[in-house]
Amino acid sequence: MEVHVRIPTPLKKLAGERDVIKAEGKTVGEVLQWLTETYPGLKERLRDEQGGVRRFINIYVNDEDIRFNQNLETPVKEGDQISIIPAIAGGSSPKRRVTLTFPPKLIKEPVIYNVGHRFKLITNIRSANVSENVGWVTLEIDGEEEEYLKALYYLNDIGVTVEPVERNIIE
Amino acid sequence: MKYTIGLKCKECKREYSINPIHVCEFCFGPLEVIYDYEKIKKSLTREKIEGRPKSMWRYRELLPLDGDPSVGTDVGFTPLIRSEGLARALGVKELYLKNDAVNHPTLSFKDRVVSVALSKAREFGFRIVACASTGNLANSVAALAAAGGFKSYIFVPYDLEQGKILGTLIYGTKLIGVKGSYDEVNRLCSEIAENYGWAFVNINIRPFYAEGSKTFGYEIAEQLGWKVPQHVIVPMAGGSLITKIWKGFKEFESIGLLDEVPTKIYGAQASGSNPIVAAFKAGVDWIKPQRPQTIAKSLAIGNPADGYYALKTIRDSGGYAEDVTDEEIIEGMKLLAQTEGIFTETAGGVTVGVTKKLIEQGIIPRDESILISITGNGLKTQEAIQDRVGRPLIIDARLSDFEKIGAPKIRERTTSLQAAL
Repeated sequence: MEVHVRIPTPLKKLAGERDVIKAEGKTVGEVLQWLTETYPGLKERLRDEQGGVRRFINIYVNDEDIRFNQNLETPVKEGDQISIIPAIAGGSSPKRRVTLTFPPKLIKEPVIYNVGHRFKLITNIRSANVSENVGWVTLEIDGEEEEYLKALYYLNDIGVTVEPVERNIIE
Repeated sequence: MKYTIGLKCKECKREYSINPIHVCEFCFGPLEVIYDYEKIKKSLTREKIEGRPKSMWRYRELLPLDGDPSVGTDVGFTPLIRSEGLARALGVKELYLKNDAVNHPTLSFKDRVVSVALSKAREFGFRIVACASTGNLANSVAALAAAGGFKSYIFVPYDLEQGKILGTLIYGTKLIGVKGSYDEVNRLCSEIAENYGWAFVNINIRPFYAEGSKTFGYEIAEQLGWKVPQHVIVPMAGGSLITKIWKGFKEFESIGLLDEVPTKIYGAQASGSNPIVAAFKAGVDWIKPQRPQTIAKSLAIGNPADGYYALKTIRDSGGYAEDVTDEEIIEGMKLLAQTEGIFTETAGGVTVGVTKKLIEQGIIPRDESILISITGNGLKTQEAIQDRVGRPLIIDARLSDFEKIGAPKIRERTTSLQAAL
């Protein structure tokens, strides 16, 4: 099972200077295992002495905190996005800031309008680049968790790639 | 004389030298000031403290400055009251109120943390100070920055109570209302802090700032005659105050100023913003962030920075956590005002309401000593109660008009001699 793992800026050095790494595994635990075997320097930064995830490291699967799912046992499927985010004291969350990348066939479709129309969500475009062949938009999305997840499934179904945005990219 | 040694990560215990930093670069845990307690123990005695001016700085060896405080030198030493009216209303024997609603200069416990933060910011050489705030901190940073000759930038949720907005603007600060919740304001401020090189009191100065809250606990212990109550109820927003009151008690014990600390610590939140209470009741040690919805705006933090440590304090001390509805908050504010003559803000309504609930549930026993922490002033949150306290009776300036009201006529007064009998 191939998934994408987003590496936070302070740990990039230990992951070959890469933001996103393609990793393997059927659960978050297996993915982390794969990751720390491939990049051993990450191990002590992500896991405590008992082998758990460090308290101030948050891990999200497609923007849901694994502690609210099955923690390290949380299953992952092909193409899932796993984000590793330091919880800087004072609260920091990657939720609701995403980059949508459109395949050429969808560039002329009113996708963002549809998201706001079909689901009880408010969208706010923060940056964008749309041309003949490629289009991406960085969005802030506000609304209930359930509606947000429905929107993610919808976007996934029609072929839009959704990636969480790290907090220091937009502003 | 300097009593600090450095900073230490609360999680992985790595040590750092004293600098305006707040996060461990290894494991991302929060940093905390470490002191030379042996040296403090030799130097600090009850008599020495009692001989000093009545401010929070009488405990200066336990605060993280290198030199003398330069901002807020007369903050603290607020009244500790033995309650009679509220004790009767709650049906308890021994009840105390620690009243930071009259802390100065800005009428909340935040003056304690800000005087430490700005004095420390001056030692670091900062000229601009800033904060993310739900209101009380905004008031305090603005006022003490003005008094201390700093420039200040203050970030708040744009829909705060009018009293807190005015009570910030008057000091000539730059006030920025952010369209979002406190958690969003805070996130934005983390980004600004990284890029602007200011002293953000509750971000890069946080390890020093937070230590100021310990003085709330020190004062309780001293004012009760060098002992601590068996039950202390504390309101929780970010969760820092509750951990620092407990830390203050434990420090006093470790340096020999208190014989024992039999205290149980109780955390109080509003039902519409109760991430710490929810985690306590679920028996877990991680916090599920919420989107707060409560009239207690000063406590409306959905992703509390010190939530984990607040939980640990409550559990280690053998206490409990509870929340109350907006209705119960208003009732709590009115009860305190009408039994004790203390007008507290919504957060105080939360603490009084939770205390009442815990006593009724039998969790806090009626025959042991109890202390309620009052941390802010009701004049700042008037919107919350403006339709709940009745209206003045309007009359013409004629005796006959007044007589229609039906107020009781008392022809005889009790003399002081009779009253004494």
